[in-house]
Amino acid sequence: MNYVNCGNFKTSYTKDAEVYQTKFSKALIWGFVIALFGLPFLLGPYLLYVMNLIFIAVIGAVGLNILTGYTGLISLGQGAFMGVGAYAAGYFSLRWGIPFYLAIPMAGLTTAVFGAFFGIPSLRLKGLYLSIATLAAQFIIEFLFIRLEPITGGVTGLSIDYANFFGIEIYDDFRFYFLSLTICILMTLAGMNMMRTKLGRAFLSIRDNYIAAEAMGISLFRYKLLSFAVSSFYAGVAGSLWAYYTTIITPENFTISVSIQYLSMIIIGGLGSIQGAIFGAAFIVVLPEFLQSISDWAGSYYPAMTQIIGSIKEGVFGLVIILFLVFEPEGLVRRWRLIKAYWKLWPFSY
Amino acid sequence: MKKLFMVVLTLALLVSGAYAKNIKIGVLVDESGPTGDVGKPYGEGIRDCVQWFNDNGGINGNEIELIYVDYGYKIPAALSAYKKFKRERVVAIHGWGTGDTENLIKMVTRDKIPYFSASYSDHLTHPDKAPYNFLVGVTYGDQVKIGLKYIKEQGGDNKDVSFIYNDTGFGRAPFFPIGEDYAKELGLKVVDKQVVDLKALDATSQLLNLSKANPGYAFIQETYMAASTILKDAKKLGIETQFIGLNWTFGQKLVELVGEASNGFMGTNAFTLWHQTDVKGIKFLHELNKKYHPDVTYRKVNYIQGFTSMYVLLHGIKKAGGDYDGDNLKSVYENMSNFDTMGLTSPVSFSKESHKGVHSLKLYRIENGELNPFTDYITAE
Repeated sequence: MNYVNCGNFKTSYTKDAEVYQTKFSKALIWGFVIALFGLPFLLGPYLLYVMNLIFIAVIGAVGLNILTGYTGLISLGQGAFMGVGAYAAGYFSLRWGIPFYLAIPMAGLTTAVFGAFFGIPSLRLKGLYLSIATLAAQFIIEFLFIRLEPITGGVTGLSIDYANFFGIEIYDDFRFYFLSLTICILMTLAGMNMMRTKLGRAFLSIRDNYIAAEAMGISLFRYKLLSFAVSSFYAGVAGSLWAYYTTIITPENFTISVSIQYLSMIIIGGLGSIQGAIFGAAFIVVLPEFLQSISDWAGSYYPAMTQIIGSIKEGVFGLVIILFLVFEPEGLVRRWRLIKAYWKLWPFSY
Repeated sequence: MKKLFMVVLTLALLVSGAYAKNIKIGVLVDESGPTGDVGKPYGEGIRDCVQWFNDNGGINGNEIELIYVDYGYKIPAALSAYKKFKRERVVAIHGWGTGDTENLIKMVTRDKIPYFSASYSDHLTHPDKAPYNFLVGVTYGDQVKIGLKYIKEQGGDNKDVSFIYNDTGFGRAPFFPIGEDYAKELGLKVVDKQVVDLKALDATSQLLNLSKANPGYAFIQETYMAASTILKDAKKLGIETQFIGLNWTFGQKLVELVGEASNGFMGTNAFTLWHQTDVKGIKFLHELNKKYHPDVTYRKVNYIQGFTSMYVLLHGIKKAGGDYDGDNLKSVYENMSNFDTMGLTSPVSFSKESHKGVHSLKLYRIENGELNPFTDYITAE
């Protein structure tokens, strides 16, 4: 019987890289996944909506974490790339009548091309300089959303049909839940496994020391662009899911604040960890909903205070993020590991 | 202890029983976000309207309950508020901005919930694209059309026009393509277009370009901030062009911000202003405020907008006679014709072909700090 792996007994690299460390953890993970699929039968539409937002955010955050956490390249353009994905999916389904299950990967690929293109400066630029270059990408793409009217519909945007899966129209939160959950699991698994391959190891080595990586024969240019492409693919899928969720695509959904939100997700969750991206995405999605419900509740008792409560809400959001950076700089994932470690040894923690 | 618990429980049940009869209406307002300056008074107007209805017997004896959400002008927050409205089974929603209204169109249509918006974008009023959306106000496109019509008929020697806008959905809505096409139709020349950001503190270079093209008239689609910048810089540069602001640029606030430079500024405004006490609705609002808010002496035009819009929405529900089904409400609104808003706007009419509530407005001019109409009601058609 091995319920938990107390201590490290790994004797080979293969064992070290295993996804399921023990049979027990495998059962737990599968149990969790099955529970996730059972959840919508218990939750109301509002909570399902929050869950859907989390799944979409997880996809985007995993993508950004591959770029920033694993490869060490900062991007302030994730929001715009999501927009590219959304518009691409909208364009494919409206103009060419492509069904959603093809439109989403195609949108991902289109965004990957965009991302790789805007990743070109990354060979010469690092850190702060690169973040400004990607910020420029954000603004250029936002500008294009408004100006490329024949493709994007200009300021009024595009209106697409709900995703249709062999005659089943995915129009409400309940149905969309299964779609977003499935894609979220697929994308997360892909990300997790990617990091165990040569590609992932190349990303890590570039992050840790790019000179050493190049000396080892890793083509910096190629892998940096690949990292941008992979990350943008994720953004594109997240964006196209969002498009099928609301079925209206307007430039206002993909502004710089979205990019910043994604960056804060991976920082709060934990850089360089798929799990961290999941935690961070859930946290950043739930926090404003939580604050909103408090402010609605308080506002119903003191209507005159609504505005003040609203402003406090924004402040609290900022404060929570700052507190996190101060007290848990390695993110929620570290806290999670500490909790796990505690229970591994409990009750004899010596 | 047990007794107390039972009493509380009974009370709670009674209260919830009483609430069950309430007519719930969702309200989406921006009080803490970038459009909070106009959103707050708008929301106060909505609330006073509801309170007045409730103090006078509610709707067919049922109390109106507002589910009021300050969404901070963020689209995801608007979506989550919408889910909340749906969970609470609201019969109608009063929304706010262009972006969030657009994002909600499909859901509103599917759930058949009448939706009033504070965004005056024309594309929100087409019944085939947005069958449950309604507007109490003159659309941006119609505002420009009315302005252009006035220039064509009564403008001086120089009838060239220019458009000044911010590069957003809100900014571009009135001019492209509606304003441009209509100018062409009337035979007026659009000689210049300038982009001025909503938060711009300087518009000198844009105005220098404008003065090179020398238009007789320039339309401004901004809010107070940018409008005040434009007017100040125009005065500094000695530009002779006559500026015409669309509704969100026009109000007492502008006079406070720019003082002297606001003299002669024209505005397209569909709502009666606080100082026009000869109008029945304004008299009514003065009395209402004396009763509800004794220390309030002045109300912005946005307050009146909010009040009027809610007034129309609630009257529709009242007319529905107990059947608050979305389809029924929709047909009630679509049959609303020449509904009197106590003179706060020209009469409101919706139809199956158009969900634009108000079709005509007066042109206003600022003279010595006073905002006064100088035309009668003009329509776009």
